[in-house]
Amino acid sequence: MKTYATYNIKGGVGKTSTAVNLAYLSAASGRRTLLWDLDPQGAATYLFRVKPRVRGGSRGLVSGRRPVDDAVKATDFDNLDLLPADFSYRNMDLDLDDAKRRTRRLDDLLSGMAGDYDVAFLDCPPGVSLVSENVLRAADVLLVPLIPTPLSLRTYTQLVGFVADAPRPRPAVIAFFSMADRRKRLHREVIGSVPHDDGARIAETVIPSMTLVEQMAERRAPVPVFAPTARVSRCYQELWAEITGGKAG
Amino acid sequence: MTAVRSARPRGSGTFDPDALRELLAASFEVSAGEPRVVAHTVLDTFDRRLDRADLRLELVAEAGTERLELTRSGQVVANVLTGPWPRWPAMAAALPDGPLKDHVAPLSGIRALLVVGEERRLVRRAELRNTDGKIVVRLDVDDAGLVLVRPLRGYQKEADRAWRLVTTLLEPVTATRAASPAPKSAVDPGAPARTLLAAELTGFLDELRDNLPGTIADIDTEFLHDVRVAVRRTRSLLKLGRPALPAHFRQVWEPQFKWLGDRTSAVRDLDVYQLGLPEMAGWLVAADPADLEPFEAHLAHRRAAERRRLTRALRGVRLRRLLDDWAAELAELGGSARPVDGAWSAGALAHATIAKAHRRVVRGGTAISDASPPEDLHLLRKRCKELRYAMEMFAPVLGAARLRDAIKDLKSLQDVLGRFQDSEVQWTTLRTFAHDMVADREAAQALLAMGELTAHLHAEQQRARTEFAGVFAAYVRPASRLRMERLLGDDGRAAG
Ligand SMILES: Nc1ncnc2c1ncn2[C@@H]1O[C@H](COP(=O)(O)OP(=O)(O)OP(=O)(O)O)[C@@H](O)[C@H]1O
Ligand SMILES: [Mg+2]
Repeated sequence: MKTYATYNIKGGVGKTSTAVNLAYLSAASGRRTLLWDLDPQGAATYLFRVKPRVRGGSRGLVSGRRPVDDAVKATDFDNLDLLPADFSYRNMDLDLDDAKRRTRRLDDLLSGMAGDYDVAFLDCPPGVSLVSENVLRAADVLLVPLIPTPLSLRTYTQLVGFVADAPRPRPAVIAFFSMADRRKRLHREVIGSVPHDDGARIAETVIPSMTLVEQMAERRAPVPVFAPTARVSRCYQELWAEITGGKAG
Repeated sequence: MTAVRSARPRGSGTFDPDALRELLAASFEVSAGEPRVVAHTVLDTFDRRLDRADLRLELVAEAGTERLELTRSGQVVANVLTGPWPRWPAMAAALPDGPLKDHVAPLSGIRALLVVGEERRLVRRAELRNTDGKIVVRLDVDDAGLVLVRPLRGYQKEADRAWRLVTTLLEPVTATRAASPAPKSAVDPGAPARTLLAAELTGFLDELRDNLPGTIADIDTEFLHDVRVAVRRTRSLLKLGRPALPAHFRQVWEPQFKWLGDRTSAVRDLDVYQLGLPEMAGWLVAADPADLEPFEAHLAHRRAAERRRLTRALRGVRLRRLLDDWAAELAELGGSARPVDGAWSAGALAHATIAKAHRRVVRGGTAISDASPPEDLHLLRKRCKELRYAMEMFAPVLGAARLRDAIKDLKSLQDVLGRFQDSEVQWTTLRTFAHDMVADREAAQALLAMGELTAHLHAEQQRARTEFAGVFAAYVRPASRLRMERLLGDDGRAAG
């Protein structure tokens, strides 16, 4: 099982939109895919029309008293399952702190699902926390959406530092520009002067700013489902191909 | 996750989709699509390896989309939702990378996937949603009124509820899996030997006929292999059955099947090389596997030429006539076999042939010393094969269970002799190939690599030769001799 996490310290940068669309594309290619909505706000859960409720809540899962299996819900799409958010996830840091192997708990829980899935996505809340430390441990690849502004590049530098300081094994980092607006000079300039190296990689594919992405909330479906031929659907496809190098799982 | 369940109208009752819909609408938001044609193309190997593993691979075409789906009792194990697909027949290697291929490839092995069935059904897909508009159960309803209830993970309660509603109108269908083929039924030892022989030979003829089209189309190498097995078994049975068969069988049919067997040898030998090449490449120490490329090209070239010759024979008039006449001959043999005074009974023939074949193995093996030429071991291998066939063929008379141990004893002896001969044959043909290739200037590296292979084969042959004495000693040890005696002893003896 290959685990991808959409993560950024900053909020509102496109983490959830990316996780939902890429998880859908992964499933459509035949890979059994699980999306874990780790954000107590439950945006991804809402998009799939699933109730944001997990029996036993964060504590039940983290302590191992409630099997993760039991919380999984099929989405309306073939091969794509969801581990829903629950409001109690806001206390997940505390629950993790109480657990044995406190920085590896999420990794352990996911390992238990490895037989059922080829690919897992973690949609993370913003910020730096014990949850995000767990995510660094559990993920093979960190997908980092960046809005092309100088400010967001600064938080990106912080993020790269945070990953570099984490104990091994550390995930690979793939950043990409998201919500890019070609009409904005600033966006064009930032994309043109991409900082390279520091062990991280910036994808070639840029996800443009498109109202279709916002419409996901009304339609409650991934963009490729209701606009399969739209440019932004193609961009997500290209991003997914770039991330997997043509081969996922 | 529990399985898909299905239900259908009771008895001869008709199916009323509106009644079902109304019933379900009380608990769910029901959305049903228009009925549409769903075309299933079932894929499997010729010998149904997926089916035997309880799997079903199919290409499902529906509403302009095609998906490849692998299921076990209705439950999806793996699928691929977007093509392109290979052209069938195709080896599993040509499937899109992913879990589906990972499931199928180890099962299909060297056999190609081909279309083994097609069905079109008019299906109406319905979705049952909860108040959030989330799909919680899927239903497939076909034109015959068969309703499939597909649960979704995490929504078992809803599926159970839908099932309860569905079964107030319809009757549950209990899954029935096709029973596994019955073991060869027992034959009364007193029955005429000819009846048994005719039945066995007819079985081989069917096998032969079934595998001809795949051999001609070169779908995979197993078709030819199975043709050869059927021919070899036919020839052995003709020989073993001589005492009980009409005299003209020997003059007419033995040469006919020898002719057919000979036609198939060259391509099979080349197949064995091509299939074994990856393993052989692994033996190389000094040379690089890539050095063998000219050899591979040489094999492919030779194979193409031999295949042309083979298909000409298989498509030809002589074979068609041979098979037709043979079928007629067997019909007569089976039909006319009334018990006549002095005719062989199946039991008597079984005992006589097995005893004789066994004696020949023991005598041949005992005569072999370190100084014996390889031909003696080859001859012994042939005799072992004959004994093996005799035991397998007469299993319905003697009882399969009693034969099992006797066959196991023989098998280790056959293994060591097989290794001895295969290494020798490969080793000598490699030398022939080398001579053929020597004119090709590019081939120097390949020839050196082939030299290494020869050395490896030679060593393997020596190893088998050294092991032979021990394995034969075990074969003639008192315990296994006793088993043979008991098999052929009084308690197993038939009247006749
Ligand atoms: N490419 C895009 N074009 C236009 N709008 C977008 C795009 N990507 C995301 N959005 C919108 O931006 C908002 C934030 O996106 P999203 O929820 O994916 O980000 P997030 O990083 O997960 O946010 P949070 O930190 O709150 O979890 C949403 O309203 C979403 O519809
Ligand atoms: Mg989010």
